[in-house]
Amino acid sequence: MFGASNQLLNNLLFWISRKKWLIATFFISITIFYLPTPDGLSAEGHRTLIIVVTALILIISESIPIPAVAILILIMEVVLGVDTPDGVASSFMSDAVFFIMGSLMLAVAIVHQGLDKHLALVIIALTGNKTWRISFGFVAVSAIMASFIGEHTVAAMMLPVALSLIKNSGIGIEKSSRLSTLLLFSIAYGCALGSIGTPSGGGRNAIMIGYLAEFGLANISYLDWMKYAYPMLLLEIPLASVILWYTFPPEKRIMDSAIRKLKVNVMKSGPLNNNQKLSIIVFVFVFIGWIFLSPKIGLGIVALSGVFLYLSFRLIEWNDIATRMNWGIVILFGSAISLGIQMKETGAALWLAESFLEYFQAHVNDMTVVRWSFSVILCSILTNLLSNAATVAVLGPIVLDMGGDPVVMGMATSIASAFAYLTIVASPTCMIIHSTGLVKSSDYFKAGWKLFFASIVLLFLISFIYWPVLR
Amino acid sequence: MKILIAISSKEFSSPTLNVGMRVAKAFSAKTTIVDVGGKINQFGLKEVGIAQERMESWDIDRPGVDVLEWAFDFLAENNFIEKNEIEAGFPKNTLIERGGRRSEVFLKGTVCDDVNLILRNGEIIEELINEVQSEGYDVTIIGKSKKSKKDYELTQYIDSSIFIVNNYDPNQNYKVLLAVDDSPGTKKAVKYSVRIAQAFNIGIEVVTVSKTDEFREDYKNASHWATKFLRRNKIDYHKSFEVGDPVEIISNKAGKNHIVVMGSSSSNPLKTFFAGSKPLTVLKNSQCPILIVK
Repeated sequence: MFGASNQLLNNLLFWISRKKWLIATFFISITIFYLPTPDGLSAEGHRTLIIVVTALILIISESIPIPAVAILILIMEVVLGVDTPDGVASSFMSDAVFFIMGSLMLAVAIVHQGLDKHLALVIIALTGNKTWRISFGFVAVSAIMASFIGEHTVAAMMLPVALSLIKNSGIGIEKSSRLSTLLLFSIAYGCALGSIGTPSGGGRNAIMIGYLAEFGLANISYLDWMKYAYPMLLLEIPLASVILWYTFPPEKRIMDSAIRKLKVNVMKSGPLNNNQKLSIIVFVFVFIGWIFLSPKIGLGIVALSGVFLYLSFRLIEWNDIATRMNWGIVILFGSAISLGIQMKETGAALWLAESFLEYFQAHVNDMTVVRWSFSVILCSILTNLLSNAATVAVLGPIVLDMGGDPVVMGMATSIASAFAYLTIVASPTCMIIHSTGLVKSSDYFKAGWKLFFASIVLLFLISFIYWPVLR
Repeated sequence: MKILIAISSKEFSSPTLNVGMRVAKAFSAKTTIVDVGGKINQFGLKEVGIAQERMESWDIDRPGVDVLEWAFDFLAENNFIEKNEIEAGFPKNTLIERGGRRSEVFLKGTVCDDVNLILRNGEIIEELINEVQSEGYDVTIIGKSKKSKKDYELTQYIDSSIFIVNNYDPNQNYKVLLAVDDSPGTKKAVKYSVRIAQAFNIGIEVVTVSKTDEFREDYKNASHWATKFLRRNKIDYHKSFEVGDPVEIISNKAGKNHIVVMGSSSSNPLKTFFAGSKPLTVLKNSQCPILIVK
């Protein structure tokens, strides 16, 4: 073995080799700190932007754990004098964070019930044995379910159904095939586009609703959101199905033996048991609560009420929730929302928005499309590099400060954050299908770029043709 | 003695597992076979875990389990594990999850102490270095990577001796090429070379290289001690003194039919970081398995 001092030095060198971005971030932050504050930006705004840059680099590079980034944001807000400790604490916790926390807990509780086998029966009853119908069915069912209960819950439930079909198709799941790629992407993209449909589809939707209300710009109810976003979801389902079908034409066009084997396997699990029935009833109550009660008591409290019922009826134990839940994400979203609020309050968001608009105002007369394009394109690119909720939390205050119709700007930004089709890290659903070892990183771009551009065009048409009719 | 054998797939890891278990047998070592799966982004770590739990409830294995199952079959075929374990089959249900990114199966070994099969997820170098740090292995055995940077990083930073199974051909008649000089790691390298020679039932070529015509007394003493040790262990050996660049001579002599055994660099890690070291350059140039003893 090495001498102790050599080993220590070696460990240090290893640490440096793995933490290059952390070290770089430190120097970048120090450099920005000592740069003169730009005209029109307050000293607090300047320091808030240091935190934004630091957080973005650390989240993308993953050089430290995500919860550590979240905690660093809070520390920096206080140490750099952006806000008081109490101010930071109150901006950290909001109904949107309650909602994200409650949704993640509900997701664990729902997946825990083992409803996936019954779901499989429903899907194959709807689709039959033709591969194109199965692929379309996967996209549609994933999208519609994800719009209500969150994307990764659905992905976790749909994944074994798809793998079971692939396994029994004769192609097997030892190696990647076009059939496996098609079915797995049908789930991932179905879940991603489904998340735009309702506020409960994704935490970022709740964050945007929270910003619109907090900044006094608009109050959007659960049903309002659905009126705006659901048509887009319904149009995206055939679009995604066609793109996937022609990008990954499967080896097998008929899957009758796989369907038969799946039916036999699933039938063994018997009818729904009492706990499963009760868990569906509880979720239906939560859904009704989101529609009718959320304007009064908030989306988050409704979600937490659902968790309360799941725990009270012993449909899940607290330990199961505690060990399976991604607490780091809850802390990060809380910190990201806190940072977003500080960006608004210190004027950093306004300064960024104006700096951007100033550049274009000299060249373009009508800024409506420019503003929209900036927010949608930037958001859809960022969402493929870091978490979509973190993207909305940071970008939200900037786009809402750009002017124009705040509802159009806010909803377009939030919807664009669902276009996480291009990379493995874009969303948990992309990671879930990648974790099977059956999809390559290059596959994401192969189908993703087509759906990415098609979705932007569709969102443009919806924003400027359909939404004005609703206003 | 604890040995870690890193495997990756049925297609590429057969030589590594073969060599690894022969070495483990020679050392009578407690052995762990690890497969490191791809890194899961922190945003999806728990979600992927939940999805994999659901897969298991459908009797669909998560990635990596098939690699461990193949390793189990290899151990069973070669009677490296006890008969009752073989008869019971691969105990995938006992794959215990420890700390999110690490799961393991315990098996009772026959020719060596316990054999553990473990799955880890993450960046391979970080995972192997963490595994060695937390479990205290003496030797890590791994196949050569397509990216030589990975081999260098692992060799430089891992806190155990490292055996890189490069181009191993079971039909080749190998000899151990033992590089001896006055460095502090030489004695341990000599001891390890004996075990390697016993594992493969082969002889050892002891080579001492000096850059000048004059061999320092320390070099001569080291070579003398090595040959005495080999004689005592009844190892067939041949001793030689060569003049020239040590890296060039060792690499040339090694060819494809030697297993190189040499001590790790005693230089300051900072110097190694910027300028490399003899073992790292031999690793880069050689076409045969190499054990760098730390």
